[in-house]
Amino acid sequence: MYPRPIPEDARIQRALYLGGVALVVILWLLPLLAVMLTSIRSNEELMAGNYWGWPQKFSLIENYKAVFEQTAMLRFFLNSLLITIPSVIGVLILSTLTGFVLSRYPFRGSNLIFALFVGGNFLPAQIMMIPVRDLMVRLGLYDTVYALIIFHIAFQTGFATLFMRNFIAALPGELFQAARAEGASPFQTLRHVVVPLVRPALAALAILTFTFVWNDYFWAIVLTQSDAVKPVTAGLNNLRGEWTSAWNIVSAATIFVALPPVVMFFMMQKHFVAGLTMGAVKG
Amino acid sequence: MSRLWRRNRHWVTPALFLLPGLILFGTVILAASIETVWISLHDWDGIGAKTWVGLANYIELADDPQFYVSLKNNVIWLLIFMLAPPIGLALALIVNQQIRGMRILKSLFFVPLVLATVTVGVVFGWVYDPNFGLLQLLFGAFGGTAPALLSDETFVTFAVAAAGLWPQIAFCMILFLAGLNSLNDDLIAAGRVDGARGWRMLRHVVLPQLSQVGFIAIAVTVIGALRSFDMIAVMTSGGPYGSCTVLAYQMYQESIFSYRFGYGAAIATVLFVIMIVFIAWYLNGLIKAERSNA
Amino acid sequence: MSSVELRKVDKHYAGYHALKTVDLKIEKGEFVVMVGPSGCGKSTLLKTIAGLETINSGQIVINGRDVTREEPGDRGIAMVFQSYALYPHMTVAENMGFGLRMANRPKAEIDAAVKRAAQILRLEEQLGKRPKQLSGGQRQRVAIGRAITRSPEVFLFDEPLSNLDAALRTQMRVELSGLHTQLGSTMIYVTHDQVEAMTMADRIVILNKGRIEQIGSPLELYANPANIFVAGFLGAPRMNFIEAKAVSVDASGVSVAAAGLPALSLGGIDVTGLSAGDAVTIGIRPEGLRVVEAGDGVMPVFSSQVRLVEQLGRDTVLYVDASPLQTTNSDSGTGNFTLQLNKVSTVAVGATLRAGFETGDAYLFGPDGRTLTPRKPVAST
Repeated sequence: MYPRPIPEDARIQRALYLGGVALVVILWLLPLLAVMLTSIRSNEELMAGNYWGWPQKFSLIENYKAVFEQTAMLRFFLNSLLITIPSVIGVLILSTLTGFVLSRYPFRGSNLIFALFVGGNFLPAQIMMIPVRDLMVRLGLYDTVYALIIFHIAFQTGFATLFMRNFIAALPGELFQAARAEGASPFQTLRHVVVPLVRPALAALAILTFTFVWNDYFWAIVLTQSDAVKPVTAGLNNLRGEWTSAWNIVSAATIFVALPPVVMFFMMQKHFVAGLTMGAVKG
Repeated sequence: MSRLWRRNRHWVTPALFLLPGLILFGTVILAASIETVWISLHDWDGIGAKTWVGLANYIELADDPQFYVSLKNNVIWLLIFMLAPPIGLALALIVNQQIRGMRILKSLFFVPLVLATVTVGVVFGWVYDPNFGLLQLLFGAFGGTAPALLSDETFVTFAVAAAGLWPQIAFCMILFLAGLNSLNDDLIAAGRVDGARGWRMLRHVVLPQLSQVGFIAIAVTVIGALRSFDMIAVMTSGGPYGSCTVLAYQMYQESIFSYRFGYGAAIATVLFVIMIVFIAWYLNGLIKAERSNA
Repeated sequence: MSSVELRKVDKHYAGYHALKTVDLKIEKGEFVVMVGPSGCGKSTLLKTIAGLETINSGQIVINGRDVTREEPGDRGIAMVFQSYALYPHMTVAENMGFGLRMANRPKAEIDAAVKRAAQILRLEEQLGKRPKQLSGGQRQRVAIGRAITRSPEVFLFDEPLSNLDAALRTQMRVELSGLHTQLGSTMIYVTHDQVEAMTMADRIVILNKGRIEQIGSPLELYANPANIFVAGFLGAPRMNFIEAKAVSVDASGVSVAAAGLPALSLGGIDVTGLSAGDAVTIGIRPEGLRVVEAGDGVMPVFSSQVRLVEQLGRDTVLYVDASPLQTTNSDSGTGNFTLQLNKVSTVAVGATLRAGFETGDAYLFGPDGRTLTPRKPVAST
């Protein structure tokens, strides 16, 4: 291990080190902590200029209640779920299929197809914006959740294919040879061998895709317009325009938007980190 | 029939498996990206008919001062983002200790990465607020006044890019932690036996083993810098007076706000070309790494 | 009708000729072991029989049926892999019934087949467990059980014992031989371990660089290797080879000279294509060399110095330096010879001793490596 581990028996040293790191974490997250603090402050206090002092009164419930009742955030939140969940499911299905084929059925051009998936996944969204928007308008899907779902599935399939292909390629090859020798068809191999074995990868991919899709802002503003379909990210930015001086409400809404991915992250942290590093590191 | 199927299913089924993903990705992502190049040769308002104008959009672009502002800002983003790998490595080194409680601290470091860029934008808008922001608190402590970064044409891009740096550092940190966890313990032990320690150990034993992760961190950071859009849209809308636009944002503005889709497509094409160079470099590096592993 | 027949099977990988026109007939119920150094093509050959590798030309016939274009599952084969290839998410019973389940056989039939295989392999207690909970030997047996449940016409084994420790390997070797007797099926077995080949095979196929060097029963191959490769490959410690020159060649025999060795006259030699002055090789197995007292006139004798003594309990292996005699291609290198003595020897390192051998025990290999000495009787005790 590097750096050299602090010895187990150096209790004081270990405690001091941990305290030091905790201090760095607080500094690191200070901007977020400030927003959290503001989200429980009352409007009067903000008006009076108490931005940083200890709150005289905790308005946690009032502020968050205001977000639910006086803004459309709840609607946006629901939209985000309606967009994100089908997208994640679609990505998992498609990428398991493409990853399986690209890792286990080598054919002429399979490397090229794989490179297209990987390369396309790094293209900035703006490059395909105009044609995609045009396509959704022509399909009559513009300003519906379907436009976002279709786009997200398509785009995330690039990264997810890279991810699944590498995961399946790392499984022992003899498992697949054995399946073939036992007379399993490709579909049976998929069902009885691949799907059970890639479960951990699917968990990691699900949390990553969830985060990516939930956090998307660009496509939300390009492909939707009305509050009825807008996800939280676009909604939050609108809210900021409307509630310029009510920083406590905006802050509460911000925390509300950040909550699902952060909670998901803490629940499935191992999968998230493993997924992100494997996706990037294993190439 | 069934015999024919049994003999051929071993390639027909895989082909069928591959098709949905390939078609969707091919049309929505790849074909659309290429169609952008085609659109860039037209004058188009996004609704009516397209008029062929050849390279006129590019010629106009070459004379557009805003284009050079965007290009310059893209370079600034790139330079500022280059801080992410070293800072990420430093943080990774700090937290790579097995002490009770370190795990939760580690995860707290990762939080910015899972926040939406809009959230980061709002949070940093709060930091930079000249009246009551964190920055003002800091300057106030020394009796000064914080500059209004987001309305200052000189500093605005640096301020926005610095906000973008926050999650990027966390990303690099995760990558380097993974790299540190897969270090060859025997080599480290051998280094210790040979008397290497501290900086010399890092320089001669640890860093060489992190070269692949480092490459990926740099590549991902470059690509992330070129993709920057959300933060600018949320924090400044490209302002003040268009001084902090980047190519991605200028392209969006020309298309969505000015209905100049052909011109926007031309900007996108320029960005496309720049990206392709980096993506090709990245893929090439990855393939090399995969070959040397195999 | 033979069970498996390969007709002019040819296989190329990108720029690499893996199998060179391989012809092979395997009879029903035979236990055939394919052996050779790594990279010789033995695993590739097994996989082409299984259908896991396609071939570029030639034909593969199983039970009289041309299966060259058939999928592995339709060929009537079952395969046991080196890593066992057990599915970690399935129980032992599910693993063993996998092939039948894929063929949509009725549940009762699958259960019966699994039960029967479990009985044969003494796995009844383990049926509900997962591979992770089993020992190496048990996993190995599950892999074999998975093959048995499908009642294949041909069993294919790809180095199945190489992941086991030495004691278990010996035990499984015996079990596999017993299984072969019990089932009476055709078995094709790939290994790089010559002990496995010698002990288990009805016939051994020796492969080298994608070509079959020789086919025959273990003792036949040991006594009568067709060429210098087979002679050097079978037998441990390896055969000693002496660089020599043909001094005179005539119909009655060949006179051979080697530096450091009295002239040697060998009769009954196949002299086609051999002429005086050709470089030849004399081969003598370590157990054919013995320590002799001076003055024993019959044997070619040379003097040597002991460099290393290995006591094996009953036998003793001596590594000696016999310069100026030149060995080629042996375990111990130029000038070094190996003697295997059928007793405990008290000889010490550094001692000088005289070694000799009966001319009848020597082999002569021509310039092209072909064996020139006449057939030797196959040992029978």
